[in-house]
Amino acid sequence: MTRRRLKLNTSVQGRQAIWGWVFVIPALAFFSLFAFYPIGNAVYMGFHRKSVLSLRPPQFVGLQNYLDLFNSPAFWNAWKATTIFTLGTFIPLVVFSLLLAVLIVSRKRFQRFFQVTLYSPAVVPGVVAALVWMLMLDPRGLANQWVNFVLGTPGIDHRWLASASMVRLSTMVVYFWGYLGFFTIIYIAGLGGIPATLKEAARIDGANALQEFRYVTLPLLTPTTLLVSVMSMIFCMRTFSTQYMFTQAGAPTEPINVVTLFIFNTAIRDHQLGMASAMSILLLLVMFFFATLQFLASRRAAG
Amino acid sequence: MRITATPVAAPVQRTPAAVRRRSLLALVIDALLWVFLVGAVALVLVPVAFMFVASFMPPAEIFRSPFPWWPSRLYLENFLHALRGNDGRYLFVRTILNSTFVALSISFATVMLATLTGYSLAKLPFKGRTIVFLLILSTLMIPFETIMIPLYIVVTNIGLQDTYPGLIVPFLVSAFGVFLMRQTLLAFPDELLDAARIDGASEFGIFWRIVLPNAVPAMAVLGVLTFQSQWDNLIWPLLVVQSDSLKTIPLYIAAFTEEKHTNEGAMVAVAAIASLPMLILFVSLSRYFLRGANLFSATKG
Repeated sequence: MTRRRLKLNTSVQGRQAIWGWVFVIPALAFFSLFAFYPIGNAVYMGFHRKSVLSLRPPQFVGLQNYLDLFNSPAFWNAWKATTIFTLGTFIPLVVFSLLLAVLIVSRKRFQRFFQVTLYSPAVVPGVVAALVWMLMLDPRGLANQWVNFVLGTPGIDHRWLASASMVRLSTMVVYFWGYLGFFTIIYIAGLGGIPATLKEAARIDGANALQEFRYVTLPLLTPTTLLVSVMSMIFCMRTFSTQYMFTQAGAPTEPINVVTLFIFNTAIRDHQLGMASAMSILLLLVMFFFATLQFLASRRAAG
Repeated sequence: MRITATPVAAPVQRTPAAVRRRSLLALVIDALLWVFLVGAVALVLVPVAFMFVASFMPPAEIFRSPFPWWPSRLYLENFLHALRGNDGRYLFVRTILNSTFVALSISFATVMLATLTGYSLAKLPFKGRTIVFLLILSTLMIPFETIMIPLYIVVTNIGLQDTYPGLIVPFLVSAFGVFLMRQTLLAFPDELLDAARIDGASEFGIFWRIVLPNAVPAMAVLGVLTFQSQWDNLIWPLLVVQSDSLKTIPLYIAAFTEEKHTNEGAMVAVAAIASLPMLILFVSLSRYFLRGANLFSATKG
């Protein structure tokens, strides 16, 4: 019996090894063609000059694309726009999603309802979100009406889509609205991981709700906060639809010409594939740094 | 890594003394917190409500001050205009079909391929498995936006720009999907697989008849997430599609809002039509969406 079983095992393992490879080959082939090869090609293209329209083979130009980028004010403006957008969006996202998550978990009823409603903007397509917000931010729209009502300044146009600083703020608001629920859900999961006994202990020791939050919940949530921070930063750096839609509608481009939009325009509008590739490589390096941070953060979040 | 399900708050048990200490002040604070929470949720819903209400309004009412919040009469012309388009070619209808076809194809293929690959990486020991897994995992760290231009060059070079395959093929497998399915299937009982082997089932038969039916919940999460992200995809169609007949919804909306004869009513109707399927899908499958959000964040562990 034992001998038969062993024999079966070895032959089965050989068969499994073969089938194991067979099953991963489609995915491997796919990733090679649509992930590894493009990146390799982008590194290559980054050292060459190639226009979309020209039939000539790429021309080797060494570091010229990178030097051109570093000397270009538009390049630095794109990083500035992305940085401002990221900082202005991810910090409120972290703060408010934490606040809402704690509030929702503290409610004994309607938890599910709150989660589902808060998350719903995340399923609205980004283009639709940008469009609806553009209508609300119109000079005649809801945003001016409400802000003027709150500030008591009737008839003022806050130039949501026209002035440089306001258009930045507007893109942040759209993104904040879209992802607030997403990060709230992640915080709620993090809160669920905190043992109820610890909170009980704090309560028995006489801590009030605020103290319990400050000295028990918040420290134990640090891994989740790290994860949410890095993830929201990465999300913000990838923003595209809102900025694209706003600039298409005639909003000033410069303040919201984020890196993704800049790459897109360099490749498609200016036909500079080499330049766009060089830019992509730089963005990839920056993103890789943040992704590594996220990896470390989620390691900690997973305990 | 630990996969966290959507938690249900543990019921807070109060000692009798604590109950007595719950003073009026605590009740007032509690009420204020309710107001704050309900207010926040209401604010979040304002744009969605605005979209649906405005889509039934005559365009002139959309910018009326103060905003009426209820159409003076049911004005369906917005939807007709939206569907007809400015040139009467009903391109939007075609666009909706395109988006559905592309998103469904990608979701189906992603789910099947990710499950197959994930199963192999979880349960079939072969030489080099770790390396294959790490290779796939490394692409998880590459956001799409950073390789869109390189990918665009590749797709153009193989002649797929401005075709359905060009829209679909770059998304057929996701590293997140492979990772998710591998993690899920690691917990699959080996005894079941061995029993099937002893009964003489082929390896593909085992995958098809035993693994696949048992992986349905995780596959549903992956399918829903993939469908949503494809329904939302603007940047890739913007790069590869030139012909009108291949446009997907985001691409169509981006162009439609810029056309001269598009009024606000038609714009908001297009927006409502584009988001309604996702909102319905979300409300009926919210369990999978919320679990997906958590899995997505836990993935990189």
